[in-house]
Amino acid sequence: MARVEFRNVVKRFGDVDVIPDMNLVIGDGEFVALLGPSGCGKSTSLFLLAGIYLPTAGELLFDGHVVNEVEARDRNVGIVFQSYALYPHMSVRDNIRFPLRFKKTPREEALGRVRAAADLVHVGELLERRPGELSGGQQQRVALARALVKEPQLLLLDEPLSNLDATLRLTMRTEIKSLQKKLGVTTILVTHDQIEATTMADRIICMRAGRIEQVGTADDLYRRPGSLFIAGFIGSPPVNLITGQAVDGAVRAGRVAFPFNGAPGGVTIGLRPEHLRFAEAGIPGRIAQTEPMGREILYVVETDLGHVRVLEHGASAAHAAGEPVKIGFSPDDSLVFDTATESLMTGARVHPPLF
Amino acid sequence: MAARSRYMHRAESVALYGFLVAVSLPIILPYFWLVTIAFSARTGVAETMVLWRSTLVLVPAVIAFWLTAMLARNRRQMWLGMAATALVAAIAFGLLVGPDLHLRNFIFLVEPDFASVVRSRVGEVHGAMQFPNVWHAFANSLLIAGAQTVIVVTVASLAAYYLSRWQFPGRAAMLRSLLVLHAFPVLTLIVPMFLMLYWIGLLDTLFGVILVLVAFELPFAIFIMKGFFDAVPWDIEMSALTDGASRRQAFLRVVLPQVRNGILAISVFTFIRGWEEYIFVFTFLVRNTNWTMSLYMYYVRDDVMGVDYGVVSAVGVFYLVPSLILYVAAQRYLMQMSIGGVKG
Repeated sequence: MARVEFRNVVKRFGDVDVIPDMNLVIGDGEFVALLGPSGCGKSTSLFLLAGIYLPTAGELLFDGHVVNEVEARDRNVGIVFQSYALYPHMSVRDNIRFPLRFKKTPREEALGRVRAAADLVHVGELLERRPGELSGGQQQRVALARALVKEPQLLLLDEPLSNLDATLRLTMRTEIKSLQKKLGVTTILVTHDQIEATTMADRIICMRAGRIEQVGTADDLYRRPGSLFIAGFIGSPPVNLITGQAVDGAVRAGRVAFPFNGAPGGVTIGLRPEHLRFAEAGIPGRIAQTEPMGREILYVVETDLGHVRVLEHGASAAHAAGEPVKIGFSPDDSLVFDTATESLMTGARVHPPLF
Repeated sequence: MAARSRYMHRAESVALYGFLVAVSLPIILPYFWLVTIAFSARTGVAETMVLWRSTLVLVPAVIAFWLTAMLARNRRQMWLGMAATALVAAIAFGLLVGPDLHLRNFIFLVEPDFASVVRSRVGEVHGAMQFPNVWHAFANSLLIAGAQTVIVVTVASLAAYYLSRWQFPGRAAMLRSLLVLHAFPVLTLIVPMFLMLYWIGLLDTLFGVILVLVAFELPFAIFIMKGFFDAVPWDIEMSALTDGASRRQAFLRVVLPQVRNGILAISVFTFIRGWEEYIFVFTFLVRNTNWTMSLYMYYVRDDVMGVDYGVVSAVGVFYLVPSLILYVAAQRYLMQMSIGGVKG
């Protein structure tokens, strides 16, 4: 188990700064998620940790020791690839045993550990099969067993669930999480799926264009997103963003004025669909479309400020398309960002329009 | 209705087979001639009756097989029909062709000076060429083809892996030039190659020929192997590295097994290329102890053709057998050449 640290790490491919300057500490036994859209440098960070890429500058530390020059094979890192990367010409048993061969583990002990690792992820029955004969979920479990069998000090998961179907993803999510808690191994999950990150990880590191945008728990990122980018990235359906101008105690956007307690300037208001409700007073509009989602209904409301999405509980639509409505919300749920810097204005609130 | 449509379907596939047989006739007929003559021709007798008689058995047999396949109502009937046809054909073959079959044309396998023996049968003993033992030529051919294959496969695998995995300046140009190298007619280079070998001192040595063959076979083999390596995902290599393998171990244990079919394919093709090699051995090898099977074949034809084409055919059949065995053994792998890697 290891405490992992990035100190001013830079990774450059040719002229491209994939990671301009990364500083991060991951505690021993922690489960963190690197979350971000594709191409944001999260997989690169993972490969830096695994020792497949060499940092261009800066230091990588495991338990306080610089590991920049330590080769991949000596880092004792387990990794599960998005494609699972099983060795197609070997049986499941040989796949899981592969890492032990290089550690010169005695045969009896190795086979015992293979069996234990396989049982841990419920593939004990499949040891004789070839990877090609397994389903996606089974291949994934085998990949996990192979990563765990060498008792790694660090477990890296690169989009491990993205090739599974929805039901299996749910099961594996729970399983990986409880496995991590049981083994206590420091784990880093790379994903572009916010649900995966928020459900599994203790802490989420949100990345954008190679930089760390915000670090926090799922709750932090959802309630207090540090920037417009994170507000837009976390939450589904996505947040409604309204740009306006703050003057004389109100934010003016189109013909709508939101009472506001902050300083004048350009601001962007973020309102999550699930925090909005139809009320006596609020943003006036007309329902353009209803989208039943099972337990909830998503209304798309045509307003002066563009389309606003409102999520309401209930299986059947209480409002029909074309109906005029007013959208209200609680001021505590509102997010206000500085349009110029895109960062959250802490403590700033807007109130729903009064008419 | 169902029966009728099944009948139509079967008629279609039978017609297709007929077409395939028809277009492969130009290849099949010479082999048919070669095999029949090798086992039946007699010294000094230019007789073609055996050919006609074996055709008389073979053609009706093929047609009968064909008809059974089309007319049989079920699998059992078909097998019965086929067995009956085969039995009748075998008996007819035994009666019509059997008495003419013999192995005397294969005398060269046991008697190095067979040319004199063959000539003495027609009362002509002078001027027969001194042939080396055929097994010696066979071993030479085996050595050339085998050594060439080992070198080509080793070098091509390593070079192709490097070309597939590493970015270096001039990589694209190198790949293009690989193909261009293969485009030149070999014959244009034969005189300079002869002079080069002479200066190096490898003229009239098997090793010289092996080097030349390797040089000509490598570009294409590298190109084929590069395609196979390109198909091996990076992920499994990275996975091997994090699993504790060195780069060499990852290459040997994880990457190389994925390209097994590619290695098999270039092995078979390179071996057969070396086995059938004629131009280079003819130009660069002089001593008859250095003869390969192709040279042996050439000189046998040169020396006894007018007298006895049965022996020539027999040498041909003998020359053919190793390639045939190799193809039959490897065809299972050659057919699935493009399969590799795992999909989730």
